[in-house]
Amino acid sequence: MHGVKRVRYSKEALEARRQRDQARLKEYLALTEQTLVKKEQNDWSQEAFDLTTRLLHLCPEFYTIWKYRRNIMLDGIFPRSSPLEINELLSEELSLTTASLKLHPKVYVIWTHRRWCLENVPDGPSETDPNGWRSAYWNKELYVVEKMLDADARNFHAWNYRRYVLASMPIKRPEQNELAYTTRKIEANFSNFSAWHQRSKVLTSLWEAGKVDPHASREEEFELVRNAMYTDPADQSVWIYHRWLVSRGDDSETLHREIASIQELLDEQPDSKWCMESLVFYKRILLRNQASNIIDAEREVLITQCLRLLDMLQTIDPNRRHRYEDHAAEVKKLGDVT
Amino acid sequence: MARLNVALHVRYIQSLGENKDDLMYHLTAHLRMNAIYWGLTALCVMNHKDALDREEMIEFVMSCWDDHAGAFGAHPGHDGHVHSTLSAIQILAIHGALDRLDVPRIVKFLLSLQQPSGVFAGDAFGEIDTRFLYCAVSALSLLGQLDKLDIEKTVGYIQRCRNFDGGFGAVAGAESHAAQVFVCTATLAILDRLDEIDYETLAWWLAERQLPNGGLNGRPEKLEDVCYSFWVLSSLSILNKLTWIDADKLVEFILSSQDPDNGGIADRPGDQPDVFHTVFGVAGLSLLGYPELDDVDPVYCMPASLIEKMGLRKGWQALPRKKAE
Repeated sequence: MHGVKRVRYSKEALEARRQRDQARLKEYLALTEQTLVKKEQNDWSQEAFDLTTRLLHLCPEFYTIWKYRRNIMLDGIFPRSSPLEINELLSEELSLTTASLKLHPKVYVIWTHRRWCLENVPDGPSETDPNGWRSAYWNKELYVVEKMLDADARNFHAWNYRRYVLASMPIKRPEQNELAYTTRKIEANFSNFSAWHQRSKVLTSLWEAGKVDPHASREEEFELVRNAMYTDPADQSVWIYHRWLVSRGDDSETLHREIASIQELLDEQPDSKWCMESLVFYKRILLRNQASNIIDAEREVLITQCLRLLDMLQTIDPNRRHRYEDHAAEVKKLGDVT
Repeated sequence: MARLNVALHVRYIQSLGENKDDLMYHLTAHLRMNAIYWGLTALCVMNHKDALDREEMIEFVMSCWDDHAGAFGAHPGHDGHVHSTLSAIQILAIHGALDRLDVPRIVKFLLSLQQPSGVFAGDAFGEIDTRFLYCAVSALSLLGQLDKLDIEKTVGYIQRCRNFDGGFGAVAGAESHAAQVFVCTATLAILDRLDEIDYETLAWWLAERQLPNGGLNGRPEKLEDVCYSFWVLSSLSILNKLTWIDADKLVEFILSSQDPDNGGIADRPGDQPDVFHTVFGVAGLSLLGYPELDDVDPVYCMPASLIEKMGLRKGWQALPRKKAE
């Protein structure tokens, strides 16, 4: 259970609730027994199907009954139905799951059932248009999942489902569209880590496929991130994304530029843990990877700067002071090498 | 400073099976096998393993055998599923009753769940998730049947679940989430493939789960929740970076999430307790060195001494156990 406040019920209140629940409990147990008995008997009738509807309404997480329901459709209803009838039934199933998801947006088995419905849409409406029904459903799915993400932009079930729909649609949307979708989500709320995550996936795909110029694209991303950093320096999503962007290249020019940019922000926001932390991380990269390229004087400066920042971090972010201690020890060792 | 009210929590766990009149009890039948494993493990960590009857428990486990599938369901009459199968194996292992199992059939079931991509489904209908991958690998490991697994294929899928933040998601492409980080990290530990992990990035992401109130969340900008005391903590423990969070503050957070009247631990202070948060709160306290608790193995979430006896211990590190005051 999550987010349910503890309430101190009196003995009388508890007893009253128990009495009220007795009737519901009796009905629920009888319904469960009746349905499971039919399942054991491989009863694929409409009556059995209707029992599962009632039971799943009372207990949407009852995975065994979702499975039974699917088996009834596969082994009982579908074989005696025309493609049109199957299509209509699945359309009703999708409506049922939509209603269910509005009440229970994070129940895995409901999302699973929805996928199963889509995967079982028959060819139709005609021989010349065998994908017509399917295409219509897939197009609608994107709309449904957008509504779910509007309601809760961090619902990972919905995001996973979105990726599934995009990958499964018979006519694929261009990935640039998805990039634009993540831009919209991020601009609505910079701390939408789920949207930044999606963006990292879409960009990686576009870069690897050569569909956009990685260098220009990365520069655009730095611009976007800089904007977000300055708007809300306390939001961790942006800093995690920034670290990934930096790690995608190996030129020290970009590293120096980003360090300078973050230093500027730190000057405006002297208590910013994320500025300090990121500066330490990027300076450590300079120390480790570019050891042969930087002169001793610069090394000394970097080490001193890191140690000073790590010292400050131990004070402003005390929960993680041991991590900063570990990094300080490592940085000191780099100084001892020379 | 609050303390862990062991006696109260033991009574809470004992009471869970007693109220057959309770509607909620029956509405959660699909979790029963898991709930029994959670309760038993919590009792073990609190050194009260015998508070629930061994024979009754073994009998219940065996009554959940789904002979069609060759697996265990959550409850008598429920279909076999990888999650309830793992819980059943864990319960029997703790009670020294693994000899009750039809190992070849279970292995067949487990291996049948692996998809061409390397991920595992939960059952024949195929909901895929790295949680199920962990369940299958842990189960095979506890049965001493890891040699039957295609390790490269399994590790290959986990690689595809690795994200820009060093973490892992439920499926390839999914956002990092502490519970998925746990299942992937623990699986890699079992398979001796922790080399697949970017230690520094992942430990950084995990350490950032600690909020000012001392509790841990599961993803950036989400609320603290006691169950992450296990998912995050066990992952950090496997990476040997448990010191990267503030232990005292987390202990305080977990202790303040206890129900002081009826026992049990909730997701956060003031909320309703349940056995799920009770076991993960107690396991988290154990990893943090809370006095008078038994050691828990973070890879398997089972008594560490048992896992060691079975020859399955990996190189994780918990905080040293404090002396009672």
